[in-house]
Amino acid sequence: MRFGVGLFSLQNTAMLPTHWGRAYRDLREYAQLMEELGYDELWFSEHHFFYDGYCPALLPAAASVLSVTEKLRVGTGMLLLPMQDPHRLAVVAHDLNDRSGGRLDLGVGMGYRDIEFDGHGISRKQRLPRMLRGLEVLEAEQRAGGAALWMGAQLIDPVKRAGQHGHPILFSAALPVERCRTLAGVWEEGWRESGHSGPKPALGALRNIWLTEDAEERAAARDWVRASYVQYAGLGWTLPAVGEHAQADFAEETDKAIQDTVETTISGSADECVRQLQELEAMGIDHIAFRLMLDGAPRDAIESQIRRLATHVMPRLRTHAEARA
Amino acid sequence: MRLGLVLPEGRERELARLAEEHGLFGVLAGSGNPLTAVNAAAYASTATEFVRVIVRLSLGLEHPVLIAEELAVLDNVNNGRTVVMADTGELDEEAAVDEVLVLREALGGRPVQHDGPVWKVPAGLPANVTAPQSISVTPQPAQIEVPFWLTGRVAPEVGARLGLPLLAQSPAEVNADRLLQPARDAITGDLARDRDRVATWAKAGVTHLLIDLPDGPLADLMTTISRHLAPEVGMPHFPRVMSESRVPLKWPGDASQER
Repeated sequence: MRFGVGLFSLQNTAMLPTHWGRAYRDLREYAQLMEELGYDELWFSEHHFFYDGYCPALLPAAASVLSVTEKLRVGTGMLLLPMQDPHRLAVVAHDLNDRSGGRLDLGVGMGYRDIEFDGHGISRKQRLPRMLRGLEVLEAEQRAGGAALWMGAQLIDPVKRAGQHGHPILFSAALPVERCRTLAGVWEEGWRESGHSGPKPALGALRNIWLTEDAEERAAARDWVRASYVQYAGLGWTLPAVGEHAQADFAEETDKAIQDTVETTISGSADECVRQLQELEAMGIDHIAFRLMLDGAPRDAIESQIRRLATHVMPRLRTHAEARA
Repeated sequence: MRLGLVLPEGRERELARLAEEHGLFGVLAGSGNPLTAVNAAAYASTATEFVRVIVRLSLGLEHPVLIAEELAVLDNVNNGRTVVMADTGELDEEAAVDEVLVLREALGGRPVQHDGPVWKVPAGLPANVTAPQSISVTPQPAQIEVPFWLTGRVAPEVGARLGLPLLAQSPAEVNADRLLQPARDAITGDLARDRDRVATWAKAGVTHLLIDLPDGPLADLMTTISRHLAPEVGMPHFPRVMSESRVPLKWPGDASQER
């Protein structure tokens, strides 16, 4: 099992104002702490033209982290590929991967906000062809020693395609466990059908999690999860239905979508956290990214949670995974 | 005149740190490959606290809004120390002017609504039905205004139209009437020749000279710059007795004084 923290988006929000310079400095300090505590990965998230400075350029931010760490992998979860020239992106990512000793995971997704496409001069109608063409370029680059590709996908077809192409996937924290199970199966089916041999690529999931047995702290943490998804209402995100899991429309059915997503939060004792994370492990998910960068959560709280999970949860899951292996 | 250092590709952190230790004003990142200049600048940025990080970009290689976003992030990584050196590359004058305008508008404090000969931002494409008629590029840079310097084939025309400084490659290109006049040159490691060379730039009216280092022992080269070249152009009629007298004794055991 490998463990990470995300999603770093470097925001200065209405609810938790900060100077952006401080956010970028905190990011480097979190990364160094994570490395010291034995975390494997740090994940970023991208949006554009948002009032709070939601990070629009992940590779420069990743470079800042890679430059001050030695072992920690840094992933983009996800970089919006249709908005970039893939040839330039491939060169920049390859350079960063080389500089960092191969520690860049290049996660890519499609994006969904009209404004983000329009601000970059791209028709949203072109996002799928641009995504597929970009993937071809990046796949070729990966074969030539470029950064490892990851995919962000929550729907059947793209998940299956990722499996067919042997791309690791990082599932959104907004997916309930059952949907993760369905999609993990779809991904594996795609992988198997394509006749791949050798070890299976990684499968990862972001999870809202807060290790505490204190009722007040638990309530605060769940409220920070709530606040973090209010931002998705502002961004206008809709998570389409898959199987039994109904659509989550953060823009139109804000309260319901947020409440349903808050319910995905793993919270409680170390035993409880380990038990729920083992459910993910049992479905083949071997990378867990703790979604701790929550709107409203002060740095002290996040740091203490990073330490607690490293001390009380990660070692047990690693031992368990080794025993299973 | 103030001196800075050109960072060789792959050694940005080491050289940027040295530049800062030796009191230089700034470092130039990305001179090897403009495509990866922001990576290089980020690596130089986190190795330093004070030096300006000049990032050499080529225009015409990506959408300028995307480049502006990278620069804005970089400027927050280094807390407002970014300077852009934009190379006009293969662009003609009109295209270069338009692109620099978009970059600067995107890094300014107002929403962007640009309709130029090359770029329309936002594009107003029919499929993007919910897109508004202007965008705010965020985060905003840490500094109030990101300095833009120009270089490249059509830089003189672009600079004249936009009022931006040009990088001089020879003393004949220096405009001593400008408040800011950057230049770039290599030193040789030979003190007498380098003194002459640097003094020539200062006399011509350069304000910020970026130096390419020759191969050779780094410590000696950096000491040449910080002990001789920088002080001698730091004031008119510098009394050389101050840089040529015996070096003060070190505090025994203090490695930080190893120069």
